Amino acid sequence: MEDFLLWHYDGKSATRRSVVPQTRDGGFVLADPESDWIGDPVAWSDLVVIRQQRGHSAYGHRDRPGWRIGFTGDAPPEFAALLPKNEHYGKWVDKIGLWPAVGTFATLAVVAIFVLFQSPQWLAPLVPQSWENNLGDAMIGDFGNRYCRTPESAAALQALVREIDPKGEARQVEIANIPMVNAITLPGGHILLFDGLVQAADSPDELAGVLGHELGHVRHRDSMAGLLRQIGVGLFLGGFGGEAGNTLSNLVTLSYGRKAEAAADGVAIERLEAADISPKATADFFAKLARKEGSNARVMSFLSSHPVSDDRRRRFETSVVAGRAYRSALTNEQWQAVRNACRDDPNVASPIRWVS
Amino acid sequence: MQDEDQVGRDGFAFEGNWREYAPIAFTNLLLTIVTLGIYRFWATTRSRRYFWENTRFIDDHLEWTGKGFELFLGFVMALVLIGGPVLFLNFGVQALILHGHPLFAMLTALFAFLLLFYMVGLARFRAVRYRLGRTWWHGIRGGSEDSGLRYGVSYVWKTFVGSFLLGLLVPWSMMSLWNERWNAMSFGPHRFEAAGDYRNVFKRFLLFYLFPILVLIGSFVFGAVMVAMQSGAPQGEAPDPDSLVSQLAFVGMAIGIYAALGLIALAYYAKFFREAVDELSLADLNFHFYARTKDWVMLILVDILLVIGTLGIGAIFLDYRHWKFFITNLGATGSIDTDALTQSTTSLARHGEGLLDALDVGAF
Repeated sequence: MEDFLLWHYDGKSATRRSVVPQTRDGGFVLADPESDWIGDPVAWSDLVVIRQQRGHSAYGHRDRPGWRIGFTGDAPPEFAALLPKNEHYGKWVDKIGLWPAVGTFATLAVVAIFVLFQSPQWLAPLVPQSWENNLGDAMIGDFGNRYCRTPESAAALQALVREIDPKGEARQVEIANIPMVNAITLPGGHILLFDGLVQAADSPDELAGVLGHELGHVRHRDSMAGLLRQIGVGLFLGGFGGEAGNTLSNLVTLSYGRKAEAAADGVAIERLEAADISPKATADFFAKLARKEGSNARVMSFLSSHPVSDDRRRRFETSVVAGRAYRSALTNEQWQAVRNACRDDPNVASPIRWVS
Repeated sequence: MQDEDQVGRDGFAFEGNWREYAPIAFTNLLLTIVTLGIYRFWATTRSRRYFWENTRFIDDHLEWTGKGFELFLGFVMALVLIGGPVLFLNFGVQALILHGHPLFAMLTALFAFLLLFYMVGLARFRAVRYRLGRTWWHGIRGGSEDSGLRYGVSYVWKTFVGSFLLGLLVPWSMMSLWNERWNAMSFGPHRFEAAGDYRNVFKRFLLFYLFPILVLIGSFVFGAVMVAMQSGAPQGEAPDPDSLVSQLAFVGMAIGIYAALGLIALAYYAKFFREAVDELSLADLNFHFYARTKDWVMLILVDILLVIGTLGIGAIFLDYRHWKFFITNLGATGSIDTDALTQSTTSLARHGEGLLDALDVGAF
């Protein structure tokens, strides 16, 4: 190896030296053939690959920053055999090979996506109800004084709630001064019926159906799952970075998912049945929505995230028992009080356009 | 993308070719997809290694010693340091709105915005510092003693002031931030010196203000032509506003406006970058940048054609094209004393440009 000329930087200055390696126990030293200069001993195991490309090779030293040796062409076999191998794709991938790694990662990715989308439903029931209540209460407070309450409307609403939710699973049911045809369930068992929905409803039975549906969300803790999903998806999609992540995360968190909505519909039908209220009005409500879906392009979360209105209509319709003498969810006076709650409440804050 | 080695002017040369880079680019894409994006830190590192080791300066090539793992670590740190507070503020703002405190919600949102803005400035600084710290030549690396915390503050207020007077101070703001950033950087024992003068790019910047006038004249001409065309139509035939010609003319005008704005932005940036790099020096080395507006236009046009023509797959070659463009247009004159170019004493961050990566801003 006496004539194997290497170039060398010592990492202390940029001066380039021409050196030859002289093997020692487990390593070598570098010597300048034209002067007395001799470098510190180097162990083979200390070498790291800096470059191996197109006949140019360069190696560094694990503990000496900037220390480099390099050569053009091939090293003598006895030298080459002891040099470290280049890293291609990264340590793990190199260890098992590109294609096995692709297969493994793809499998893991599918599992990860499945867990990501399913875990909120699994985890939500594990969150203590009191935590959810505290979190929901802290988030909502008095909702900026946008609850519509008159003594008459409060009594009427309470009567409705007693029928639909006799066990008091929802901790709060209010009419919110928001002119949108929608209703939401927030963490902590808060159900908000928007005034826009109340005004759009043709009968109290419709409102009872919607209330039953939202009660389903409370019972299944869907809003807690939604919150967890928002956090999880936000963190996860951070991995993709940028705008696409944001848009996706909004899309994913917009709805509880069709399964959850269908389950909530099931609760609504069960509660209507128990309260002896006809599901017919709710079915008609969906028929109305279905017509709107066709013509009106306004995006409302209630419409866009729920199962197709027509399917839901059919489900409520088939649950109507022919010949049964249903009763009305509210008396006419009670229903009028609910409808006029926002108009007649002198203290309520002005309506807001809700952007969810 | 040409195959032959392209020798740059004054010492810098790029010796890579895209066919050699293609296996790197495609396997990077594949691994990034199957790891749901996590591999991209290692992918970036592989690409940079290729770019750097095919970049020659005078007698030797650059080396990139950054690691995928440290980029990953930096990203996780950024996620915790920024993602945590942002998540908290996000819910806080929602809660404040629900509670009916829109003013506090707005103030909280403003605070969050300023904080994020500060982070962008900090990230830009850290990115340059990280890249210099991982770039070696002749066994010597660069770096900075500065943490960039003060630069973040400068970034916030100078960008804010830059928007004064209808944006007339933008060139000053950009140039002074460039200078502040690079004056804090070093390679080996030498400090970079950046003395770009915003006055030299100001005339170019004024093109932006010429633009509305051009649009006005353009629409006037456009209207006149339309009227002339319609009056030339046979008598008794009502002019049809929905005709294909007028629709095409409108689409053409919209595209024209965007293209003109993009062109002005490129013309300004070309001048800015030339001025900024031309006034950058390191010890006895003076740097130069030669790309003119038409070079930038060609770069962007080919970028667009490449991405569209390959239905998006070509995007994996954009980094390659940009690095090649940067190096082939970069030059240095003067001299360098390799004996006096001793090792950098700056400290090395153990994590990569995580902040930058999370916020998706470029280093230059």
